Amino acid sequence: MARHQRVRIIAALAQESSEQGYQQVTVADIVSRAGIARNTFYENFRSKEDCFLATQEYAMTAALERVVAAAGELGNWADRVCAGLTAFLEYVVEEPALARTCMVEALSAGPAAVERYERSQQAFVSLFKLGRDVSPHGGQLPETLEEAIVGGVFWIVYQRLAVGEVAAIPALLPELTEFALTPYLGAEPAREAAARASGNLRSKPGA
Amino acid sequence: MLDASGSVSSVLLRDPANQPVESPEYPPELARLPPGRHGLPREFVSHNQRERLIAGLAEAVAENGYAGTTIAHITRNAAVSRRTFYEHFGSKDECFIAAYDTVMAELRERVEEAFGQEEEWPQAVRAGIRAMLEFLAAEPHLARLSMVEALVAGPVVVERYDAAIQSLVPYFAAGREGLSKEVLAGLSPTTEEALVGGMVSLISRRIFADRTEELESLLPDLVEFTLTPYLGSTEAAKVARAS
Repeated sequence: MARHQRVRIIAALAQESSEQGYQQVTVADIVSRAGIARNTFYENFRSKEDCFLATQEYAMTAALERVVAAAGELGNWADRVCAGLTAFLEYVVEEPALARTCMVEALSAGPAAVERYERSQQAFVSLFKLGRDVSPHGGQLPETLEEAIVGGVFWIVYQRLAVGEVAAIPALLPELTEFALTPYLGAEPAREAAARASGNLRSKPGA
Repeated sequence: MLDASGSVSSVLLRDPANQPVESPEYPPELARLPPGRHGLPREFVSHNQRERLIAGLAEAVAENGYAGTTIAHITRNAAVSRRTFYEHFGSKDECFIAAYDTVMAELRERVEEAFGQEEEWPQAVRAGIRAMLEFLAAEPHLARLSMVEALVAGPVVVERYDAAIQSLVPYFAAGREGLSKEVLAGLSPTTEEALVGGMVSLISRRIFADRTEELESLLPDLVEFTLTPYLGSTEAAKVARAS
């Protein structure tokens, strides 16, 4: 019961933050949205900020689980990147309020939230770094390349979330994949890998 | 007053000692007006006060952060009355927006000038990025104001922040001109947005972490990263490493 309550409060914070911006949200807003008593909120969280950080952790863990599950099994690095990006974008589309909270609101929610935002990018940075081993010129790539690629992908997703264009996000998958893979593999192989990934996306049931 | 207030003031006040102002109505001696009656034309005084309030806000935010800054901080720094503050701005937020816009206008001007001085596009990009990094490194308080504090100063500022980043896109889109069909096929509608987002992400991270001294060393990596989709990695690296 306690866990259900916690998740309900988290969902409420995510929704309120998405709608009015984290700065404006009050505990009263959250409890009203969640349909719980004020006491119940404070049984679960010390403060609005505490609740925000928990929301971030919750969303980041869920998204990462999906990315790892999708990417982990595949042998080919390019396919892993494709699968990982696909899973990430799918999560964003399914949980726009949580995604927005993590990617948009986090930067205005204090240093602890920013630290978590950084950490979420770090997971992707690690995945991309593996590309240096399979790249013909891995040794010459700029040191900050992964940081820049992940920053770019996040920025594009963030922009769409910020203006509420969530439905437009899945269509970005091929170009985001190409953008990410090209520095390691070259334009042609990157495009081929992206096309393979789109093929997979289309062949999913209900897609 | 902060040690760095001199540099805050010189950008936000157009310090007459460093940048002579052409207009005969703006004699340098009057840059710092004493409070009280002085019989000067209203518009002149008003303009000067507005600038001082903006500079005063920037100093206050550097000291206290956006949330911790009060109108009293601002007016004390600007040496004007609270009433005068409200003649110019309806709120702290409004004053912050004006400060933000002033910093961004300065940054934009420097980037535009540096970019425009180069004949070839790749070198122009390098010059523009370099000008940006130099400005942010030289003005760490203003860098923080425009990239960290801006994010907690309300939705109006965040919108401007996003727009400012997107406004860098045309500098890179210009690189598409004259490219072969083959290379163009490797670019997508979001290429420039991704490049700009990636570049700003690197810069922003260092400003957040108060490591502005590292900014200028990012130049080679940023040039290589942004030019590679247009020129290929070998050529991009050459431009990046040029002295």
